[in-house]
Amino acid sequence: MADPAANGNTDSGGSRIGRVPAGYWLAGAFLLVVPSFASNFVMYQIFGWSFILGMISLSLMFLAGYGGMFSLAQMTVAGLAGYVVAICGTSAITDISQNWPWYINIPAALLIAAIFATIVGWLAVRTEGIYTIMITLAVASAFFYFTRQNYVLFNGFSGFNGIFPPQLFGVDWRNPIAFYYLALFWAVFWYLAVLYVSRSPMGLALQGIRDNPRRMAALGFDVTLHRVAAYTFAAFPAAIGGILLTWQSAQISPGTAGIGPVIDILVIAVIGGLRHPIGPFVGAFVYVILKSFSIDILVALGMAGERFQLLIGLGFLAIVFWSPDGLLGLWAKLRDLNRRDPLIGRLVRRL
Amino acid sequence: MVRRFARAHPWWSIWIAVATLVLLYLIFAIWPPWLIALLGKKKLFLNSLFNGITLGSLYFLIASGFTLIFGLMRNVNLAHGSLYMLGGYIGYLVGDLTGYWLLAFPAAFVAVGLFGILLQYFVFRRMEGEDIRQTLVTLGISIVLADIMLWMFGGDFYNISPPSWLSGPMDTFFVTGVKRSSGELIYLKYPLVRIAILIASIVIGVGMWLALNRTRIGMLIRAGVDDRDILSASGIRIQLVFVAVFAFGAGLAGMAGVVGGTFQSIAPGEDIRFLLASLVVVIVGGMGSIPGAALGAVIIGIAEQFGSVYFPTYAVVVTFLIMVLVLAFRPRGLLGRN
Amino acid sequence: MRLSDRHVGRRSATGSSNALELRGVSKRFGALLALDDVSLTLRPGERRAVLGSNGAGKTTLFNCISGDFPPTAGEIRLYGEDITAFPPQERIRRGLRRTYQISLLFTGLSVLDNVYLACRGVLRRRFSMLRPSRSEPAFLSAVELVELAGLDEVGGVPVSELSYGQQRQLEIAMALAGAPRLLLLDEPAAGLSPTERQALVDILKNLPDHIGFVIIEHDMDVALQVSEFVTMMHNGRVFKEGKPRELESDAEVQALYLGEVDG
Repeated sequence: MADPAANGNTDSGGSRIGRVPAGYWLAGAFLLVVPSFASNFVMYQIFGWSFILGMISLSLMFLAGYGGMFSLAQMTVAGLAGYVVAICGTSAITDISQNWPWYINIPAALLIAAIFATIVGWLAVRTEGIYTIMITLAVASAFFYFTRQNYVLFNGFSGFNGIFPPQLFGVDWRNPIAFYYLALFWAVFWYLAVLYVSRSPMGLALQGIRDNPRRMAALGFDVTLHRVAAYTFAAFPAAIGGILLTWQSAQISPGTAGIGPVIDILVIAVIGGLRHPIGPFVGAFVYVILKSFSIDILVALGMAGERFQLLIGLGFLAIVFWSPDGLLGLWAKLRDLNRRDPLIGRLVRRL
Repeated sequence: MVRRFARAHPWWSIWIAVATLVLLYLIFAIWPPWLIALLGKKKLFLNSLFNGITLGSLYFLIASGFTLIFGLMRNVNLAHGSLYMLGGYIGYLVGDLTGYWLLAFPAAFVAVGLFGILLQYFVFRRMEGEDIRQTLVTLGISIVLADIMLWMFGGDFYNISPPSWLSGPMDTFFVTGVKRSSGELIYLKYPLVRIAILIASIVIGVGMWLALNRTRIGMLIRAGVDDRDILSASGIRIQLVFVAVFAFGAGLAGMAGVVGGTFQSIAPGEDIRFLLASLVVVIVGGMGSIPGAALGAVIIGIAEQFGSVYFPTYAVVVTFLIMVLVLAFRPRGLLGRN
Repeated sequence: MRLSDRHVGRRSATGSSNALELRGVSKRFGALLALDDVSLTLRPGERRAVLGSNGAGKTTLFNCISGDFPPTAGEIRLYGEDITAFPPQERIRRGLRRTYQISLLFTGLSVLDNVYLACRGVLRRRFSMLRPSRSEPAFLSAVELVELAGLDEVGGVPVSELSYGQQRQLEIAMALAGAPRLLLLDEPAAGLSPTERQALVDILKNLPDHIGFVIIEHDMDVALQVSEFVTMMHNGRVFKEGKPRELESDAEVQALYLGEVDG
């Protein structure tokens, strides 16, 4: 896989920067100059949204790809962080919002999201892998119903609107260009952070637990505690994504973390690929493109414009059937085809 | 068995005995004024209790198939709610076309069961042993099915009406109060169709229990739930067992759709609602256990009904609270194997 | 190559106590008595082969010693300490290691990562999110162990792509991580080519003197070359004990063992 840093401890250090493939430089340069030609819609709705959904899916990818834990509660963690920002910060619902400054409400949002994720993790990891999906889906829907019913704190069905990012360093972060760079920064930050942690003792232990929990216990690792810690870590990219999502749409309501979005996050991560942290961003981009242009695509295919769910569902099924590693897996397969030895037809591996 | 349980868990036994006595008192006694002041009218209480039990019987119909499929194949069938809804729509069409309500049940059972066979044969058999991948496939199927059903049936509510001989209330022997003027006892009236469905679920539940415990194939399935290698070692054609169990579980979900369409209605979104209900029931009751599904279904049904009467704002939250408590103390569910 | 002192640093002297002492250990699975009153004593640094036909209870014996399944009766002492009721990781921390007959490796990780995890397991800061530096002791030990096992050429390759023989070698490298004192080797030579078997014998022979091991092995050649003492098991009981030479010429053992191998 095109992972500049995952080739093992053997070649860590040295010129790590020099070994980043050219494609990454090109993609980075492209993303930096997008605002010079893209419209506000493209920056805000296409790229901004992709980065945000990518971050939330990244937290699922970290748990599922490295830890084998398919948590459906990551969108819920994001939603909770968004709610805390709305409740502690400023919104149009002046009865509830506390108007606290950003340097209190954002850390509060991260902290509460992390605590919540830790509790969810503790509940989910006490049973074996396959139960995780059930338990986290149930927790996610509990949160959805709770926020919909609770008017004291979560303002029930309508939620909060008029939530804007703070004016910091003299920049209006609502401005599409500023918001684009803000979302890009955090997306890249968490992408690199997950990549980095994947090679740390914590990340390696998590992958060991994914492959063989019994052996990890026999090696002296506390399997349960590692899993719970993974949930805590994964809360942070999700929470940042949730806060940005709240700012982007200027509102948060129970539907933000409803059953549909909760499942979409899993769909995005699986479509992109769970093997590498770039997968969720690829998946998010494809999802956002499909969602934004599904009407045109479907009409071009001669179908009714509102069948977006059918399109995404069939795409998801196709991926699960033919490429369990998602679009990244497809890409790797295509690349390997070109690297096959023409004589013996076998894969030529670069060791 | 009772004695063994009592000896192993003395405190639990005492609690269960006390709770049973209190419940019996609440059901059969004529309530004194202080109790009415505390809990409201007895009629309200009895109604929520019975509604809870009948709702539980509906949950049981759905969750028993879910838990059987999960137990045997380790397949978390996230399309189970979609099968329920499919059954509801099919039942509606059949009932509407033929005019026979009873015909809707076998029609939904057979049609959804066949669909289950197709799923097992063409999809899940190809990913044997890949739990997560199977689960993801069921998720994809549920997304696709939901949209196709929305496409075909639109966003309207469909209500399956029971035949005239089953509609209307029935007199029961439960006393709700005393007439102040004459001193006559007032008896509870309860919808006949709900009672019929409760009885039907009990019959199905007992039938399943007998089939699982008294027949050779049933015992094999139970052994397979405990240890899947036994099945392959027993020389039986394991794929056939899988197909049969999946078809039966799917068919039950389809039949439950007819029940749900009669109780309430069929509309987009119901698939997710009943998928969640089966998840919670199975988590509470114990994964892979039929008696667990029955216990969990009754607990969740009653909790939901009492919740909606006594704490209307947080009715849904009560059920999830129960789930979290069970998970915290018995991660494998009340009757699950630890 | 010899192991350097860094990761096999001697524990404090443990006096005159035996490395391993089993007294009347039995293990029952339902109606099956897999181990029947087994007693066994190993001096520190002793190398012992356990021979016997399939179903003689050898792997069950290992599972009891390593703590994978606790015994139903009897007592197990490791360097004088009663470990009968300890969970596996506590036994690991006391210097016991085992390899498995079926491969229990981390297939998604590289060879070096597998060994690194084995080295980290007994150390502190297992939750660190900082990448290991190249001078970290656990990392250096891992590199050294990978070389020792002759796997340095495939250090960065995912385990799922190794050959069977290489996976067995990796098992041994992982068992040597973090100051072991006693190894339990469950059929390490099974499925190896003759060359690989010789490499395995060399690795085992060159282990530092204070590391003892118990080896279950079907290949008599390997077993007798690397061990000083042999225990013969049959039907869950200790059947005979002695020096390799004595047992090799023992008629009863020959009959039992060869009969099994031929059949």
